[in-house]
Order: sequence, then structure tokens, then C-alpha cells
Amino acid sequence: MNKQKKKGISYAKWGYIFILPFFIAYISFTLIPQLMTFYNSLFENYRNGLTQIGPNFVGLQNFVKLFTPDKSGTIGMLKYFGNTMVLWLMGAVPQVLVALLLAVFFTSYRLNIKGQQFFKTVIYMPNLIMASAFSMLFFTLFSPVGPVNQVLLSSGMVDKAIDFLGMKISVRVLISLMNFLMWFGNTTILLMAGIQGIDQSMFEAAEIDGATSLQVFMKVTLPLLAPILVYTIITAMIGGLQMFDVPQVLTNGKGTPNRASMTMVMYLNNFLQTSKNYGMAGAVSVVLFIVSAVLSLFVYNTLSKQYKK
Amino acid sequence: MKKVLALALALCMVFTLCAISASAEEGKVFNIYAWNEEFKGFFEKYYEVPEGVTVNWIITPSDNGAYQQKLDEALLNQANANDDDKVDLFLAEADYILKYVDSEYTQDITALGVTDFSNAYTYTVQAASDAAGVVKGVSFQCCPSALIYRRSIAEDVLGTSDPAEVQAKLDSWDKFNAVAADAKAKGYYMTASFAETYRVFSNNASSPWVDEEGNLQFDPQIEAWIDQTDEFIQNGYTLTAGVWDDEKNAQMFADGKTMCFFGPAWYFNFCMGNAQDPEKGCSGDWAIIEGPAAHFWGGTWLLAPAGSDNPTMLADVMNTFINNEDVCTALVANEAQFSNNIAVNAKFAEDPDYGSAFLGGQNDVAIFSGMTNNIVWENHTIYDQLLNEGLQNALQDYYKGNVDKDSAMQNFYNYVNETYPAIVTP
Repeated sequence: MNKQKKKGISYAKWGYIFILPFFIAYISFTLIPQLMTFYNSLFENYRNGLTQIGPNFVGLQNFVKLFTPDKSGTIGMLKYFGNTMVLWLMGAVPQVLVALLLAVFFTSYRLNIKGQQFFKTVIYMPNLIMASAFSMLFFTLFSPVGPVNQVLLSSGMVDKAIDFLGMKISVRVLISLMNFLMWFGNTTILLMAGIQGIDQSMFEAAEIDGATSLQVFMKVTLPLLAPILVYTIITAMIGGLQMFDVPQVLTNGKGTPNRASMTMVMYLNNFLQTSKNYGMAGAVSVVLFIVSAVLSLFVYNTLSKQYKK
Repeated sequence: MKKVLALALALCMVFTLCAISASAEEGKVFNIYAWNEEFKGFFEKYYEVPEGVTVNWIITPSDNGAYQQKLDEALLNQANANDDDKVDLFLAEADYILKYVDSEYTQDITALGVTDFSNAYTYTVQAASDAAGVVKGVSFQCCPSALIYRRSIAEDVLGTSDPAEVQAKLDSWDKFNAVAADAKAKGYYMTASFAETYRVFSNNASSPWVDEEGNLQFDPQIEAWIDQTDEFIQNGYTLTAGVWDDEKNAQMFADGKTMCFFGPAWYFNFCMGNAQDPEKGCSGDWAIIEGPAAHFWGGTWLLAPAGSDNPTMLADVMNTFINNEDVCTALVANEAQFSNNIAVNAKFAEDPDYGSAFLGGQNDVAIFSGMTNNIVWENHTIYDQLLNEGLQNALQDYYKGNVDKDSAMQNFYNYVNETYPAIVTP
């Protein structure tokens, strides 16, 4: 009897037990809050002064409000989505390109760059600084009476202080620059790990066949790096869609000028700050979730298909 | 001998027990919510904290309403909080005091033993009273706001730096605007911020920001401010900096080119640090006058939260800062404050030997005292702080030339809709 029982033991249960903690954490800290957000987005629920209004069920009214154009014909949600994408692309495109270049340089056995550890540490450094502190630093540097303007003025390059934080283009460039500086090191290290995972004999074989460096990069490195590259781009995109701290601190939450640097999460935050408007904020979150999901699927499908062939 | 010793010991014990039970009635931690360090400085210098009580400061900057948010959470949670975490005293500004005074989260201070308001300025008591007239707090300062001008620049532009003569040349908006043109012609700015005169107008509004149906409305005074600022920006009479910006504050150094600032007594220490700078500043080159219109700006009220576990100390703090003559005197003499004690202020106003070195020996208390009669407390809403801030922020974009006026106003309306869903915008 006993023997028979032992035969029936399934060791698979240990597998389930080991992955259980992740699922518990995922369900309680991600899935339930996410479902609550969907639920909350259907209610009118905010605070007026110290008085709580609601929650009253209003169906999809919050979403309708979100996509109703204002008097000037602008739909806030679309404008802020556009801002977010522009700010993200301005930072992410150079970020991936520079990271790719650096990763190839650092892993190339022909270049054999000395002091790799040192450079890796240095390029990763900006990521260790808190985004808000980094942003505050730039705010101070580029203020009308800040050091950058003082240098420009005293060297005679300009005769009037430049209002970097008051102009659309400079604010956007500063935000992208900060995001670039903070994240290109991280991307470089991820891509380096990816390249190092490729069998060295591939590169050697390509070279023996007489491939140029560019050909090696295009035909060997890139296709084999695709899974990591897709992962990097998708995480960068989700991070980009959720861009908040850098523009929030740099523009003091106003998204100046003309709300041109207001991102979707800053918009969401506007609803939450004073009025604790969970209904509208929930609706923005739901839209943000859908957009992230659609874009991620799109990127995943196009990039992985391209290299699967 | 033994009996005496025993008696003495017994008495000692009784006293100790009494002492313990007396202090055990009230909390050991006194939590004060504030948005800056100003009152903390005065409190630490002039208030003697009862033995065994720890004072805990919870300070959150008021920008973008952050202080109100922090305070709201604490007050809404007051009933469930541990005694040591309860709010025991909180500070509020004129722009949003109504939100707290007209709520169940503050309590009647006359019941706690703060009953003598005979020396306090009437508007400070009105501001801290709810719709039924129940007083919920006191202010430790009175804030009539003056026009603060640079004597040397006034000498150059107006040909005089004497306060009485300068006042005669700046006692209406028409004169003020005309002088702005003269200042410009001599290479000066009239003001250093596009919003410098905002309070002077908004404080004289005859209607509140929001009407009874919840509609946002623009008082003629606010519109007058916008018109004046349009003109000032167009003609280069002012800078595009905000009232709190570094760019504006840099104008207070000796090499600054700006003639006029507006502010109450707290402004000297709180905002004019650059002017008082021993090397680059210009202490003594300043003077104050009433200017084109009477108004007040800000002021810090001490409010009594419902459910504080330190009611005795709470009342004691309030009494100290409005009725303790020594403390009020020290506030005026050492801290350049204009106290909320009419008798103490009168003493300084009448003292021929008193004068502020920063203002070139002028008796600021006398000037401020003369202005207090013109302050009225009316047309306030719970939304004032963020509506005032929001309008200024939105229009700053326009004055910097980034957007047209309609878009700026639309941005303001969007901001209002996000911040206060209950307000209906045009």
C-alpha cells in the first residue's frame, strides 16, 4: 500500500509552491489595485474642501469628460499623450542608439577597451541620483538667475538672460536630456549582457568569411540581440509613458509653457492632488493602461517578427 | 523626629503623585502643522513649553496646495489617530482659512479659555470665526500690506524720497501707472513681478471667486489687475517673474533696478533677505507708504483642531501670542513683526525713538497702524489660494509670450476643473 502511494507523489507541487510568493504579491499589489482602478473610474468620487462628494455611480461619464474637447477645441487627454510621446521619443531614440553603440564598443574583442569597469560605473552613475534631485539640479542650473545664464551673460554670448524654463523647446530638450542621461547607462549594461550572451564563434566565423564590422553588426549582432532589444524598448516605453518625476519637478507641476510639457501621469496627478478625484484619475489610469498594452503588443509583434525569419 | 521625617516623605509622595496625575491628563506630544519655519522660530524663542511635553513640527511647503493636502489627511484622520499623533495646533493662511474655520474639524477657542480679543484687530478675529460667529483661532500678526520703495530710486524718479511726498504721488492707480512710465524713462522697473500688484487689487474685490451656484466669476478688480499688467508688460514697466521667483528677488540687491514692492511686515524678513544682505544689499535705502489702495496680504492664523489632546497648552499658546505683552513687544522690537496687539503696537507707534534701521529710521509700526482701519474681511472662499496661484501661473505664460490670452485663460479653466471639480468654469 505504502509503496503504491509513494509512486503517486507529484513533485510538480513544489514548483507551484515556489512560484506562489510571486503570484500572491502580484495579485495583492498589482492585479487587485488595477481592478480597483477600473471600478473607481466609474464613480463620481472627490473631495470639495473637507467634504467628501460621492462615490456615486456615473457609468462612463468620466471617460466622456476626458475626451470632451474644451472651448479651444483641444482634448486634454490627447494633448498630454502627444506631449508624453514627444518627450519620450526625444530621450529614448538617442538613448537606445548611444547604448547600442557603447555596448558594441565595450564588448568588441578587437577594440578591447581598457578600464571597462570604470566606464560602466560612470555611465550608470546618473541613474543612482534621485530623479527629483536631478531635476531640481537642472531647475537651479537653468533658472533665469542660475549659473548657466550667469556664464552666458558674463562671457558676452547673450545680452539678456535666456528663459530656458519658459520656452517649449528648451524645456522639452532639458527633460529629454535628463531622461537620456539617467537611463542610457542602464540600457548599455543590459545590451552588453545581451551581446556577451552571443556565441563568440559567430563573430569569428563572420570575420573569417570577410564580413565588415557594419555587416557583422547588422547581420549577426542585431538579429541575435533582438529579444533583449525588444525587452529594452518595451520597458523603456512603459517607463516613458509613465514619465512623471522629471517634468513635474522641473516645471513645478505646471507643465509650462502652455502645458506643453505636461505628461499623462502629471495630468492624472492634477486630479488627485487637491480634490482626491479618484473617478477622473481612475479614468486617466485606465486609458493609460490600454495605451501601454496596445503599444507594447505592437512593438513586440513588429520587432520580434522581423528577426524571427 | 521620625514622625516629622515620615510626614515629610509622605507629603513628598503626595506632591509627586499630584504632579504626575496633573500632567498625565494631557498629551505628552504637541503636534504643530505649518507650511514654513516662520512661526517655529518665534515659538521656540518666546514660548516656554511645559515640562515633559515634546513639540513636534510637521512642516510642508504650501506650493500647489501641498500643505493643505497634508493637513487635510491629518484632520480627517484625527478621530482615529493615537493621542501622540493628533494635530494639536495648525497654522492657516488667509487664502484658505475659511475651509478649516467653517468645518467641524476646528473647535471653539473661547471654550478652551481664549476669550480676550479686545487687543486683537477685528478682521483677524472675523477671519477665524465661522458663519455662526464661533471663534476657532487667532492670528499672531496683523498684515496690512504697504508699498515698499527704494529711496534712492524714488529720489531719482520722483525727485523726493520722503514718504509723505511719495505717497502723494502714488496714492491712486492712475498716478501709479503714470509714475511707472517715468521710472521706465529713467531706466528703472516700477515692479519686479507681473503679479506684484495682484493682492492690492484682489483684496479689494467686491465679489468672491465663486458665486453661490458654484460658478467661477471674475471680479472687476481682478480684471483691472489684468488690464494694468497687460499695460505694464507691454511697456516694459515690470518683469515677467512670479512673486516668489529668484529673478524678482535679485532685484532687491543694491544693483537692482526696481522701485516698488508690495508687502506686509512679515515681508521684510521673509522675502527681503537680499536687500538685507550686508555686502550686496541696500538696508536703509527703503521706506513704506500705504500706496494706491489699502489691502492686506497673508497672515498666519493659529487654529485649534477638534480633538486635540493638549487643550490647555493650546489655549496657552494662543493667549501668549496675542495677549502676552512681553511676547508681543518682543515680536515687534526683535522680529520686525506687526503684532496682533493694538496696545503694544500703539506703544511703538507713539515712541519717537523707535524706528526701523532697514527702512532708514522710519517708524513702520505707525504706518501699519494707520492702515489697519481700512482692512475688511469679506468675499473669501475656501478655494482662494489655488485660484489666485492658478490664475497667476496661467497668465505668466501669456506675459512671457508663450501663448495668446485666450489659451492662457483656457489653461486656467482646465486647471480649475482638475483642481476643484465642484466649480463651474465659463
